[in-house]
Amino acid sequence: MNLRDPESMNLVIGRVLRYGVLISGIIILLGTISLAASSGLSDTAGVLVYNENVPHDGLDVSLASILHGLVTLSAFSWIELGVIVLIATPVARVIISVFLFAAERDRLYVLVTAVVLILLLFSMLVTPFIPGFHA
Amino acid sequence: MFIVEFVLLMFLVSILAGIFGSIVGLGGGVVVIPVLTILLGVNIHFAIGASIVAIIGTSSGSASTYVRDKVTNLRVGMFLELASTSGAITGAAIAAYTNSGALEAIFGSILLVSLVPMVMKIGEDIPKSPELKGLSRDLGLTGTYTESDGRTIKYNATRPVEGLAGTAVAGVLSGLLGIGGGAFKVLSMDLAMKLPMKVSTTTSNFMIGVTAAASAGIYFARGDVDPVIVAPVAIGILIGAAVGARILLRSRNTTVRKTFAVILAIAAVEMILSALGVSV
Repeated sequence: MNLRDPESMNLVIGRVLRYGVLISGIIILLGTISLAASSGLSDTAGVLVYNENVPHDGLDVSLASILHGLVTLSAFSWIELGVIVLIATPVARVIISVFLFAAERDRLYVLVTAVVLILLLFSMLVTPFIPGFHA
Repeated sequence: MFIVEFVLLMFLVSILAGIFGSIVGLGGGVVVIPVLTILLGVNIHFAIGASIVAIIGTSSGSASTYVRDKVTNLRVGMFLELASTSGAITGAAIAAYTNSGALEAIFGSILLVSLVPMVMKIGEDIPKSPELKGLSRDLGLTGTYTESDGRTIKYNATRPVEGLAGTAVAGVLSGLLGIGGGAFKVLSMDLAMKLPMKVSTTTSNFMIGVTAAASAGIYFARGDVDPVIVAPVAIGILIGAAVGARILLRSRNTTVRKTFAVILAIAAVEMILSALGVSV
């Protein structure tokens, strides 16, 4: 594939999105099947879904707990991993776009896409830790 | 209702949300949120968490097809993402310091009012393409795509600054409420930039994933993304988006516009009702 050919950008971005969606879909599906098989659906989950008074921070989503859950094959952690892959897919698309515009030698759009990437990463990774933004 | 029935119902509803969301460029939160909150009594925070996942799923799932078939305009999308991501950060800041109810009512009313120009253009197939000049030319905001009947449609964008402003509003709304960004994106491209309807909805679809991902960090960190709710939503949405993308490619612009107008009306009423609920 010749990356300088403007046509290749559509192919590459299309594929990044398709693979991201397929991988996350498969992980979430496996997690769901394992959840159903372990009868987790009838106990833990019911409380979360139906109790309006569940504490807001009831779910432990720290990286350490997700990693621990993955190692111990916890269905919840696998679903969370699938969701993270899904959320990461558009981010990957923006990152790859920067390089694709660079290959086309389109400086203006390298700049546009790089600024979008910086804003996106700031919003995803920094704003959750600014006091008050948790409201 | 048992949990298994809950999961199956959410799965089916999400397929529908994915089909409509991918056709009109709105991501499916419009369908997923009221079903979860009103019908199933789920806490609004978990519903918004599920909506964020639904939007990203609809976006990536359908855009993979739209980008490959070159209906999405990549440059228009990347350019407008400057405004949607900045807007999302601004919206998150506003949400932290103000009551979002009043803003939600205002945005809902704007959507309702925007139905008027939308309905006036209801029979429009391909807009008369403006001359490519000024900032639009410098930014390369032009494109070509193949219509469902085989015609090759060449089009140019106009008024990029107005488009950017409208998209910034879309971003603020996403950051503020976790929903509603798609409607303003489609309206900006359709009413301000004069792009063909399918280019507007598919380019919106391409962008909403990035806007939603920008807000996802906050919801994920707060624990609003409940695996049991999100799993059937994600799988259903991905199936729906794949089906919806195929339907859009075979549809006429007029059909897409009519479908968008109906869903826009529903979204506007939902936002106004929700705002009234908040302020009461």
